[in-house]
Amino acid sequence: MAPTTSMSRRPSPEAASSPAIRRKLGVVLIDPLPVVRAGLSLLVDGRPDMEILAEAGDGREGVDALARVRRSRVVVLVGLGLEGEHDASWLIRTVRERFPSHAVLAMGANADPTMVSRALFVGADGYVDKNIDPLDFLGAIIKVADREMVLQGPVAAAVGQIADSIELRRDLGVRLTGREREVLAVAAEGLTARQIATRLGVRERTVTTHLGRIYGKLGVGNRLSAIRMAARSGMVSVGFPE
Amino acid sequence: MSSRPARVLVVGGHPVILGVVRLACDALAGVEIVAEAGDGSAAVAASSSLTPELAVVDLDLPGNDGLDVLRSLRDQGFRGRVVVVSERADGATVLGAMRLGVDAYLLKPDGLRRIGDAIRRVLDGERAIDPALEQAAVLELGRFARQSRETSGVDSSLTRREREILELLAEGLTMQQIGRRLDISPRTVETHVANLYRKLAVRSRVQAVSRAASLGLIELR
Repeated sequence: MAPTTSMSRRPSPEAASSPAIRRKLGVVLIDPLPVVRAGLSLLVDGRPDMEILAEAGDGREGVDALARVRRSRVVVLVGLGLEGEHDASWLIRTVRERFPSHAVLAMGANADPTMVSRALFVGADGYVDKNIDPLDFLGAIIKVADREMVLQGPVAAAVGQIADSIELRRDLGVRLTGREREVLAVAAEGLTARQIATRLGVRERTVTTHLGRIYGKLGVGNRLSAIRMAARSGMVSVGFPE
Repeated sequence: MSSRPARVLVVGGHPVILGVVRLACDALAGVEIVAEAGDGSAAVAASSSLTPELAVVDLDLPGNDGLDVLRSLRDQGFRGRVVVVSERADGATVLGAMRLGVDAYLLKPDGLRRIGDAIRRVLDGERAIDPALEQAAVLELGRFARQSRETSGVDSSLTRREREILELLAEGLTMQQIGRRLDISPRTVETHVANLYRKLAVRSRVQAVSRAASLGLIELR
């Protein structure tokens, strides 16, 4: 658990409604695309009540930038296009652990329900599509700063599907052991049992035992169905990110 | 538009609701009520024999949970569009309905006035869910995501032994009894229990059991 120093919690309603002493809402922007960062900076800094505190183009840098921000409650905008070892999921999880008082707003471009469910499951307070109206985007930042869940963009019509994915992810997590989840994630890359064994440094026999147990727990008959289920839950990603 | 009228199944027990839906469908061209069902089994039977394109479901069925009825319709293979009417505006119910693929959600009693319009729009492939209800579902989704995350966080931090002990605690066994059952010393049990409390962020056995149950880690019988 990250130590939470005595930070000021959510301001009282009285404080929030007195405009005189209200501090600007701090925003930290982490997205791989420079054009997106430039556009959002202009948008946010154009508001008298908001300011960009830091920007970063990858997850690692983003965490470093957050560590330098000396504020207890900022809104972290996380682009789901972040990839690699320090991808968007890693970043959201890390912010949740290390800076629990910050709000996280995930942003994507036409993200599908599974991607959104993954962001919410790992700890985002909301999701907005980059295609929405700029004013709605700013509105979403304000809402999420109060830790109010936000879901905007075409995917908002898929609330039910997103909930289904999250539930499946939770159930898979509870049913499978850590090792089984690892085996399934590697299997989703399309590796053979022998290759999985090499990757994880175990015997092939052990991998097939794990796989057999996974099929049993998931109630499926083969590897493809198991991977499909894990993909639907957002636990593993198959194919290309946005 | 189409030569054949759209077939509608109405699931509801209240005569007023049935009357309103009948009137609305009569006023719409190309819409025909093919069956009216008062409970889940009648609805499922009608759905499988008549293959309606749209179901109007009253969620407040007497003696039945409307969501359960809708779920059994879906489980049985009903793939058509759904308009629900309900008195319930809470996020859990609305989200539950949305998870069952509801295209329109009308709140009683005022929403009933718009039922004809909703049926027509849904048959045209649109959705008709009030933004306030949609917002309630989104807030519920946020709560659900948070709770699911906590569940799997706590769950993956528990060892197999701690899980075992948690189940036994839930059965009401004392530390001594747990020790005897698992053939370990009471001291060891105490250590495991202390770790469990820490991971669940609780201070007592009752809290541990109730928290684990609320996270869905154990089932209380």
